Amino acid sequence: MQVNNNIYAPLKARLTEVIEESPLIKTLVLIPEEKFSFNTGQFIELSVDGIGEAPFTPSSSPLVSDRLEVTIMKTGYVTGYMHELKPGAIMGIRGPYGRGYPVESFYGKEVLILGGGCGLAPIRSLLYALENISDKLERVVLCYGSKTPSDCIYKPLFTRLNNTPKFEAHRTVDKADEEWGGNVGVVTTLLEKVKINLRKSLAVVCGPPVMMKFGTLKLVEMGYPDDLIYLSMEKNMSCGLGKCGHCMMGKFFVCKDGPVFTYNEIKDQPDIWN
Amino acid sequence: MRYLSINKEEWDVALERLLSSYTVFATISNGYGLDYEVVTAGNIRDISYDRPKPATPLKTFFLPVRENVTSGKHAERQRIILGIPNCDIKGLGILDEIYLDKDYTDISYRERRETTLLISSDCFDMEKNCHCSSYGIKPYSEDGADLAVIQIDDHIILRVITPKGEEFSSQLTMLKPAENGEILNEIEKYHKAVESLLSSANKALPDFETTGKLVSAAGGKIWEKYSSHCVSCGACTTICPTCSCFLLIDRPGFEKIKQMDACQYPGFERTAGGGDSLFELSERFRNRYLCKYVWKSRKFRSTACTGCGRCIEACLGKISKNELFTELTHASQQ
Ligand SMILES: Cc1cc2nc3c(=O)[nH]c(=O)nc-3n(C[C@H](O)[C@H](O)[C@H](O)COP(=O)(O)OP(=O)(O)OC[C@H]3O[C@@H](n4cnc5c(N)ncnc54)[C@H](O)[C@@H]3O)c2cc1C
Ligand code: SF4
Ligand code: SF4
Ligand code: FES
Repeated sequence: MQVNNNIYAPLKARLTEVIEESPLIKTLVLIPEEKFSFNTGQFIELSVDGIGEAPFTPSSSPLVSDRLEVTIMKTGYVTGYMHELKPGAIMGIRGPYGRGYPVESFYGKEVLILGGGCGLAPIRSLLYALENISDKLERVVLCYGSKTPSDCIYKPLFTRLNNTPKFEAHRTVDKADEEWGGNVGVVTTLLEKVKINLRKSLAVVCGPPVMMKFGTLKLVEMGYPDDLIYLSMEKNMSCGLGKCGHCMMGKFFVCKDGPVFTYNEIKDQPDIWN
Repeated sequence: MRYLSINKEEWDVALERLLSSYTVFATISNGYGLDYEVVTAGNIRDISYDRPKPATPLKTFFLPVRENVTSGKHAERQRIILGIPNCDIKGLGILDEIYLDKDYTDISYRERRETTLLISSDCFDMEKNCHCSSYGIKPYSEDGADLAVIQIDDHIILRVITPKGEEFSSQLTMLKPAENGEILNEIEKYHKAVESLLSSANKALPDFETTGKLVSAAGGKIWEKYSSHCVSCGACTTICPTCSCFLLIDRPGFEKIKQMDACQYPGFERTAGGGDSLFELSERFRNRYLCKYVWKSRKFRSTACTGCGRCIEACLGKISKNELFTELTHASQQ
């Protein structure tokens, strides 16, 4: 989508609702000025007028084009301003950018999704997309880890998934509280508990760098082929267009060649876990 | 390619006439060296032909240091840039690949490219750090530029390279086909002479591909040694004809300012939460080398280093990449 044929000009979008997911995470619901469609795994550059822009993967369904949800963790300057915005505010959107998940190639397979932290936001959009094609999939298994039980966002999502045929969702926390009765440990510990038919399976990993690294290495150890492990990479980004150079990871511009890569594509590039 | 010739006096007159319809920039010597100046009736005779190399890289005509890319104000006058060394013409290749990318075309860049006629000039001499030929680039243009201009005594010879150059030269009525074989032989003699100057000055320097291999294999020690004088000023990337990284800055009204940026500045790759793979100075320093000689050469058809030598001249820390490469070569031979 390009405004006036200018790749740098954002499309305006009205903020209609702010959902508080956790003390540090909010979901902004946006109504774009024009229809805006994206493929799951693609990202947008979202701007606060006059303040700055940052990349986010929409957390809403890729099947909806008149409404967009973005789930934002407050980590610094721009996201700090985003958390202050009230319904009615006008924001800017550029995109969608990059290469998302090749969901057609998931047909006939078991999809294992490994997520952590705010990585659940992009995964939610992927789950919507997979629900839509569930008749063509064998099974979808979500393993999600958060620091504490209260850091977990979209809690109702887990109940819903566990009530959806072919879907199952597992949770773990690094540190339990009194009420927590579930698994304790990093997200890879869940992998020992789920049954997987490796021959039919592929894996998706999305989360903070450490989790991506250990998650991927564990999957490789389990026998997943490198070209069936999909990673959503996060790098500093400015343009989103494959021009500004900020997101370079070896020979790739993560914004344009990614952000979704197979492990096979990037394993020889430098600093992939940084 | 064909050659046309014109008497120098007539050329100056023709050039002066063009000033009414074009903004002309040309290489003129000042007290310090050679650089592009705006041509006026008063300085046409000061234009220097066949001398390397203007201080300013060609990229600055197409990628201003700072530009509002959402204001929609472009359409400058038609421009002629005259006296461009071939290394800079070759440096434009990678910028074209990035900014004219079919998926996302930068319209300000495209407009500037379309409204500019590139007139190269053959280098009949070399500057201290010139090493184009080590990377397979000739010291004269046979493609990329629209025309090349050469001065031999009181003759101006034009090498017509592109259809745009052809169309332009058809406007200059006093041009004659350069049938004088002697002049062409003389040009060739100059080419040979400067090529041999370049190759003997850079005997110890590895070629582009070998440089890539050496840079990939080099361990942390050498980067620490050479970066110990680096002050992260970014002069090397600012002056480089192929470096074109930028940052978008927001202004009220959803305007975007595109400002040239550099991987040598701290924080270039900083991500949320503070992660930064280029936090260490020596990592940033090494990044420029990997980017130019390894990564970009795998990604793009065009070169990311033309061997112009400007980064060596501009460095505040007096760091020479060519000394580094020579040291790597020696180390690899031991
Ligand atoms: C493809 C992609 C998808 C993403 N999806 C999501 C998502 O769905 N949800 C989510 O919450 N996050 C997501 N992120 C992360 C999100 O983009 C960052 O959290 C956001 O950019 C942080 O911006 P900030 O200004 O608040 O953070 P800050 O930490 O303040 O700033 C980060 C930016 O400012 C610059 N900067 C800040 N301080 C300095 C300094 N001292 N020196 C130099 N530079 C500095 C950095 O270069 C960087 O560009 C995604 C990132 C990517 C790449
Ligand atoms: S790296 Fe140095 S020598 Fe190579 S093109 Fe850039 S400025 Fe010129
Ligand atoms: S010009 Fe020299 S001192 Fe400045 S950033 Fe480059 S290498 Fe470092
Ligand atoms: S974000 Fe600019 S090149 Fe990728």
